Amino acid sequence: MLHKRLYQFVLVYFIGLAFLFTVKGVFNLSDYVIPSPLDIYSTFRRVFMRYFFDVLNTLSVAIVGHIISIAMATVVGIIGRLSNWMGSLIRTAAFNVQAYPIVAVAPMIFILLGDGLSSRLLIAAMICYFPLLLSFIGILSEPITDIEHFYVHSGRMRWQLEVKIRAFENMNKLITVVAGSATLAMVGTIVSEFIGASAGIGYSIRIALYQSDLSKILVALFFIGIFTSLYLAVLELLGHIVSRSWGAKKA
Amino acid sequence: MPIECRNINYKYPGAQFPVFNNLNCRVGEPGFHALFGQSGVGKSTFARMIAGQLNGFAGEIKIREPKKVFYSYNLERLPGWSDVGEHIGKVTPEANRKRIDEIIESFGVSACMGSGFSRLSLGQQNRVNLARYLLQDFDLLIMDESLANVDEATREQIIYKIKDMFPQKSFLYISHSVAEVSMFCMNIIVLRSFLKDPQTLTINGQDSARGRAVAGKDLEQTMLEIVNAS
Repeated sequence: MLHKRLYQFVLVYFIGLAFLFTVKGVFNLSDYVIPSPLDIYSTFRRVFMRYFFDVLNTLSVAIVGHIISIAMATVVGIIGRLSNWMGSLIRTAAFNVQAYPIVAVAPMIFILLGDGLSSRLLIAAMICYFPLLLSFIGILSEPITDIEHFYVHSGRMRWQLEVKIRAFENMNKLITVVAGSATLAMVGTIVSEFIGASAGIGYSIRIALYQSDLSKILVALFFIGIFTSLYLAVLELLGHIVSRSWGAKKA
Repeated sequence: MPIECRNINYKYPGAQFPVFNNLNCRVGEPGFHALFGQSGVGKSTFARMIAGQLNGFAGEIKIREPKKVFYSYNLERLPGWSDVGEHIGKVTPEANRKRIDEIIESFGVSACMGSGFSRLSLGQQNRVNLARYLLQDFDLLIMDESLANVDEATREQIIYKIKDMFPQKSFLYISHSVAEVSMFCMNIIVLRSFLKDPQTLTINGQDSARGRAVAGKDLEQTMLEIVNAS
């Protein structure tokens, strides 16, 4: 899983680099606009350690933000699956609020909470929360009639059992959604750092932008890609373990 | 527990024609009864109405107390996180636990108890599903093709076992087999198209039980009556 993710990323990254060098060659652009491979390599060696820890910092915030958003989406999804007025209200609110871009609200969060950890965490959680919530509500509000029928009509159905049945029957979908939203958590953290934070790889990219240093940005992208692939692979592995350990009881 | 249905009228939302048009019928004493009819005539719809799982119809369904009605159908599944034995143990009321082994054994599904439901054949799945319903406290059990995909000999054994074990309970067996309902059922309610009046006809079945032979001629007569009625 991990090596596949890494291969895919490295392939895409180097295709992107090749495209840049082609553009540089065709239009005869200077090293100032698009640096040479040697420049990129020397920048890589120079900033390796700093960017490594920056991206690690970003990844840790993204992971915590992701966990918070999963917990929030689970709780709200459980309430939103109800067919009463509360469920209906939550579903409507979720659909409407997610239409509003969190990035646009981000400056307000920085003004209110400052440029520290809490702002980055909040923005990361909010960015991956809504897609998660919509999927969770969709999955948890869809009855599995063939299984639930017996419990409902024998008077044994409890909300915990209902959620368990629906989650179990849609385990693969849930794992895919959670793994997919990991990318969003990473994106959310980087965007928040880029907008106003004073730490993380997004902040380093912002500095590189001010310096018009494309080499640094390319190196930062490399690290982001490697670490995101790593996180996705770990999530997929966890999902695989969860579905195997639950599925094993079917045998 | 007699069931009396009077002037039932029902049309699915958006449908052009009704399913039931002034439907009347009665199921009297406890025993093994059948609901018979062509595909799409409304057997499952009617069964769900009796079980209280479908509302919004005109007319009246009266069920005399006690009235614990269960509706089982052949597409039901058990949750996948536990094996069949564990599930049955969990959903069986304390008072009925002593019956688990007897039912499981006579249904021929003892070997399936340690398996996951999804690993069973369709026939085994249907038998397991029916077994867990029989272990509930019910007064009327509607068996909507609950023995589909089960071979004839096993089906016969299961029906006889049900009759032996639950003489005071009522069963409404939905099947497409004329021979089967003629042979095993006390009354066969033949459900017909909404264009026919009356929409149901009740035929007396042979109500065969273990150790009581049914004359071939009588069986043929019942089958003929059902075919003519439907």
